[in-house]
Amino acid sequence: MLEIKNLKASVNNRDILKGLNITIKPGELHAIMGPNGSGKSTLANVLSGKNGYEISGEIKYQGKDLIEISVDERAQKGIFLAFQYPIEIPGVNTNNFLKTVLNKVRKARGEQEIDTLSFLKIVKERLSELGIDEKMLSRQLNVGFSGGEKKKNEILQMKILDPNLSILDETDSGLDIDALKIIANGVNSSRDKKKSFLVITHYQRLLNYINPDFVHVLSDGKIIKSGCMELAEELEKTGYKKIN
Amino acid sequence: MIENFKINSSEIGKIKKISQEEKDFRIKNLSLFNKRGFPNKRNEDWKFSDLREIVQKNFKKLDVNNTRSKVKKINLIEDFDHNYIAIINGELSSSNFKFEEKNKIKIKNFQNDDFLQENKDNPLIHLNHALSNRGYLLEIKENYKFKKALIIYNIFTKDLKENILNSRNKIKIGKNSELHTIDLVTNDSKYKFINNVYENIILESNAIYRNICIQNAKSEGYFHKFSKNILASKSKYSSFIFPSGLKFNKLDLEFNLEGEDSECNIQSASFLNRNDHQEIKTRINHLAPNCKSYQKVKNVLDSDGKGVYQGKIFVKDIAQKTNAYQLSKAILLSDSSEFDAKPELEIYADDVKCSHGSTSGSLDEDSIYYLMSRGLNRKESVKLLVDGFLNEVIEMIKSNSVRKFVQNNLEGQIHGY
Repeated sequence: MLEIKNLKASVNNRDILKGLNITIKPGELHAIMGPNGSGKSTLANVLSGKNGYEISGEIKYQGKDLIEISVDERAQKGIFLAFQYPIEIPGVNTNNFLKTVLNKVRKARGEQEIDTLSFLKIVKERLSELGIDEKMLSRQLNVGFSGGEKKKNEILQMKILDPNLSILDETDSGLDIDALKIIANGVNSSRDKKKSFLVITHYQRLLNYINPDFVHVLSDGKIIKSGCMELAEELEKTGYKKIN
Repeated sequence: MIENFKINSSEIGKIKKISQEEKDFRIKNLSLFNKRGFPNKRNEDWKFSDLREIVQKNFKKLDVNNTRSKVKKINLIEDFDHNYIAIINGELSSSNFKFEEKNKIKIKNFQNDDFLQENKDNPLIHLNHALSNRGYLLEIKENYKFKKALIIYNIFTKDLKENILNSRNKIKIGKNSELHTIDLVTNDSKYKFINNVYENIILESNAIYRNICIQNAKSEGYFHKFSKNILASKSKYSSFIFPSGLKFNKLDLEFNLEGEDSECNIQSASFLNRNDHQEIKTRINHLAPNCKSYQKVKNVLDSDGKGVYQGKIFVKDIAQKTNAYQLSKAILLSDSSEFDAKPELEIYADDVKCSHGSTSGSLDEDSIYYLMSRGLNRKESVKLLVDGFLNEVIEMIKSNSVRKFVQNNLEGQIHGY
């Protein structure tokens, strides 16, 4: 699904990623943990195609080189990033937005556009799954949403767009335990043999609910240790400083 | 190219059936106009919109002698039931109030009976007072609420070419009465012309007036409107203005909150590009205690579009407990677009709440990135953000059918996206 080799990224001549390697196969869920400033969000941004980074190395998605592909095309090809800080978009109705982007992605996949009624049915199913009030649909996208609502909205978008590779950038931070469970359920119910996940987090907390196949520790722009769930548990006990 | 544009006083002789008093008034105003000509940027009120230069650049001649044109059929909108009046090149042509009680409404050609010289330093007002020969008077009697909206179809015909039209309108809404109007502008002329309007709206106590003004088709029109609005106690005025697509447009709006507890609400949203030049100038005079005013002006500017907002709030010493708010927001999509804002407060009362703000800048790149990360391309993301930015004003329209109508009309306003 995703193959990253010796990935380096810098902003304004400041090196952030310094030779990162990771391979994610279809159906796998990888967690990346790391201290503040280790490059976690940069990795998420670079994978989504955000501008402003000097990049070298190799990123292959479904066997094809990804670096030259634009943000929107990546989304259309099935890469989804749940933002750490979702952006408020004033004046844009959430329901219309969701329908517009779903149709855009469907069109790119060669599928037919969805009509309003069938769309509403899908959205309502996902909303109840995630325990989100339907009223959210008539609100402006993320405007005045609480931290938890914004994160849930990211997961709602993920479920509606049904991507192949989902990257969750600290989706768990700032959430209470109920919201955390809802988000974990959202991820778990999307997992299957074909779909892959990259979950970026500070804490073991979320991982307790989603059982990652692999856990990596990112420090100073490199993966310094990889393992499975035990590694996350160890980190929780010892902290990042002891790992080296 | 026109230099030193002056109008011969014989033009006034051509206006039929006027009293000596009116003739004197017109001659006086004509000489005031001729002394100055079109205003240029040395005039503080015109510093961002040098009309003299604009006229010199764009007009070879200007004909003040207007023919009266007829329109065979007016295309009425079918989105919702409405009353209507049709104004052709500024002249009242027909009216239909089929949803209302006819004896509560007076509509006729405008006849001026007020020859007091206003203390206004605006040559276009002088020009209008000198030459206006068309327009309407609409009066709503006391205690009457309109059942359906009134659409004012403002039609400009294809035979307009290098003309200048001067029209004068007056709307008076009686005590406890309510009127909703929608001004729709359609312009069939492919040529340049100037439309100069003087408007007077009077709200008696407890009267409610809601107006929506839509001008969105690209055209070669050069428009100026001075609007003087007088609000008596407890009256409420709200105006949603969606102007766009004219070569030049200046709306000079004055609100006099003369009665206690009166309120005015002005909101506008425009998309300007390709040398569109638009200015909204407001002056809100808080002249009595406990009045409220609210202004929100939003502009999106693309290639060579220019937007101006000059907004002044004046609070008289007796106008305690005034609550006045003013906000201007602009998004610039291109390096060649320009936005100028001049917010002003002049306050002589000590117990008031007045605020103003003005922001302008390019679209937030993080917002574009967010939308693109969901699969929209850059252009679609920009369009969605621009739509959303302007939509915030449209969302404030209460009636569903009217809001949808406005929304559909403005989709086309965002030219080129």
